[in-house]
Amino acid sequence: MSSDIEKILRPVDNPAPQFPPKHMTLSGGESMVIRQADREEIPDILSFVEPLIHVERDFYDIVAARVYSELLGYYRYRMQDEYVLIAQIDGELAAVVNGRRLNPEVGMSLHTLSLRRGLRVGAHAFAAKMEYHFDHLRQKEVLIVAESPIGFRRWMIEYKLEKRFEVPHELGGVPSWSLTQAIFEKARKTLVVGRRPVPAALLAKAQAKILPPSDPPKPPLDLMAATRSQSDPTGTALLLQRRRLDDIAGSGPCASGSCACGTHGQIAAPAKKSGRSAKARR
Amino acid sequence: MREVYVVGIGITTFSRLEYPLVEIAGYPAMLALKDAGLSSVDHVYVANMGAARLNKQTGLASAVVDHLSLTPAGAETIENGPASGASAIKQAYMAIASGLHDTVLVTGAERMRAANNLETTDFVATLTHPLAEYIYGVTLPALAGMFTRLYMDKYGVTPRHLGMVAVKAHDNAMLNPFAHLHERITLDGILDCPEALTNNPMVADPLRFYDCCPVSDGGACLILASGDAAKKSGKPMIRLAGVGQATDTHAVHEREDPTQLLAVRGAAGQAMRMAGIKPGDVHVAELHDAFTILEIAESEEVGFFKKGEGHLALEKGETKIGGKIPINPSGGLKAKGHPVGATGVGQAHEIVTQLRGAAHKRQVKNAKVGLTLNFGGFGNNVVCLVFAKE
Amino acid sequence: MSHAKGNRYQCAKCGHINYPNRTLCRKCRHSEFRPVALPKSGRLLTFTHLSTLPGDFDVPELTLGIVQLANGVRVTAQLDIPRPKLGMAVDGEVQVVRKDEYNKYHGFVFRAK
Repeated sequence: MSSDIEKILRPVDNPAPQFPPKHMTLSGGESMVIRQADREEIPDILSFVEPLIHVERDFYDIVAARVYSELLGYYRYRMQDEYVLIAQIDGELAAVVNGRRLNPEVGMSLHTLSLRRGLRVGAHAFAAKMEYHFDHLRQKEVLIVAESPIGFRRWMIEYKLEKRFEVPHELGGVPSWSLTQAIFEKARKTLVVGRRPVPAALLAKAQAKILPPSDPPKPPLDLMAATRSQSDPTGTALLLQRRRLDDIAGSGPCASGSCACGTHGQIAAPAKKSGRSAKARR
Repeated sequence: MREVYVVGIGITTFSRLEYPLVEIAGYPAMLALKDAGLSSVDHVYVANMGAARLNKQTGLASAVVDHLSLTPAGAETIENGPASGASAIKQAYMAIASGLHDTVLVTGAERMRAANNLETTDFVATLTHPLAEYIYGVTLPALAGMFTRLYMDKYGVTPRHLGMVAVKAHDNAMLNPFAHLHERITLDGILDCPEALTNNPMVADPLRFYDCCPVSDGGACLILASGDAAKKSGKPMIRLAGVGQATDTHAVHEREDPTQLLAVRGAAGQAMRMAGIKPGDVHVAELHDAFTILEIAESEEVGFFKKGEGHLALEKGETKIGGKIPINPSGGLKAKGHPVGATGVGQAHEIVTQLRGAAHKRQVKNAKVGLTLNFGGFGNNVVCLVFAKE
Repeated sequence: MSHAKGNRYQCAKCGHINYPNRTLCRKCRHSEFRPVALPKSGRLLTFTHLSTLPGDFDVPELTLGIVQLANGVRVTAQLDIPRPKLGMAVDGEVQVVRKDEYNKYHGFVFRAK
């Protein structure tokens, strides 16, 4: 019986071509590979996304929280026609982008999350996502919203997106912007880059294992300062502050050692070992 | 006039700092007081450009002097655009040289990343002439872009030369724990590879992304003192030997030859004359490279190289650490970062560190004379300082 | 609306055209000025395509330049020229160059001659 209910709950994905992997050289001379992530790779990715939920700067918290839910939805079959592309540098996860097909002709861009700052890593990954919608899924337009000023500048202004305000976007129902085929063709020359095929060794390195980002975005070092700094329009710094005080009592998110933030424990006293792991609290 | 010495220095990382502005001003001041072995000073100058607009705070000096518990010392905020830092040091120099005060603390602080990038772009653009430049959408990068085009046309500077300035700045910043950008870049990645135009897009052509400094938060502090007070501190005797300042037309188009930075030439000439040195006597310099082209142009206007030959010296590696005249060993504004009001104090912090021989991996050997050039607006208000080790 | 028509300030004593205007003439420090119409054509001295704009602008890129007018006066302006070249001949007119909520700002816009 339970399996029958699961059948009802689980959407059936429409067939879709795979994103052919590509590679590019970054400003620092490193090669970055962008490829489609398999469903089975999602748990690895989630473990690197989770710490960013607690980075209450540059909208990392809200973007990471939503990416986490979308990736989990993909992994556990609760999203239809979703795909996940990842960017890797030396195997390390540098960016995650995802989206879905709303219908055969219209794509819904979901998120772009950079785990490595700078070097246009996120911009390259976003461009790959658009390339997937137009060149491989053969769609006519992609609906987009931005959740941060940097996103707004990158997508709406750099690509010169059209307003499609009559259509609520799946991310919060806010008015959509549209990247049409014509806009994409204009942007192709300057914004969409990458070479194929990816040299075998480079691709093998990327596929072998998704390695943790070596320098992911971190929460502010001094959380007390963040609360004093009048730059906390969302109040999340205050919430985090309370959570950190909880840490001292021994139920901190880093107690499991899964947090890659690198700063937890520097401000507050070291968290005591407790039976509750980060995963258990989810 | 009395001689003036630097007895204490302090600095924060230049990056994104989620601290209140007074703390960004206060932290390096606390370090500098410790460095100087002082618990009080006679006067405080706070260098800042954007508090009123970006941080909604006015009367910053009053807040900082209290935050540091230095009351009842006198305190003033000095605003001279991106040259606020060096201007504040100049005020401190005058206060001590005149005999009015014995110890003066200068702290520069800026918190620009509290505002979004559209707001920050507009804030910096308000430095331009309101009627003749600003209304058109002119920003500092736009002025720098138009300047670069003329410079390339006249002197044969190429995008490759600009890229070499950027790569050098990023390499030096890797050696500076306080620098904003800790990422190595290569000419291949920013100019040559098939993805270069996307990695390094045009901002104000011919200037590209990696030709422009980042928007930074940060603070830096210098404590200056009279000779007697300096001797008591027991610190290396670093003298502020020369101070120069000059201005130029507000609107860039009014300059007879827009490729000449007359205010740079004037300020540097004054400072070096006062210090009794020639450009060839300078061992290390921090120039105001908000854009890569400015490092090249300023290196000529200051007199290190002939006009139109700065890029040739760069090609030969003469401006690297270990070269004939190392420029911006800190990474410069380009990679150390540019918290506008604090930048001039940050430049002086680097030069004092170099003259003290405490710059570790980025140390310029046997540096005894150092120069800073702090450039306000687009070269319309320039302050030059010369420091000498005794 | 004299400014909106492109008029500028000529020193009543030495005849120097101050653009932008000043309280004291840049050349002779005199303090009286009379309006003078500027020529509409000139030569492009330098330019840039600017792609990081303040929030007031609803366009992705602006082309800006410095033009030397026929009488030698220089102005900074917007260019409506897709591929500008140094030294090219240009013609200008005064139009709205920036809007900020209900405020409109007039300035020079040059096109290829």
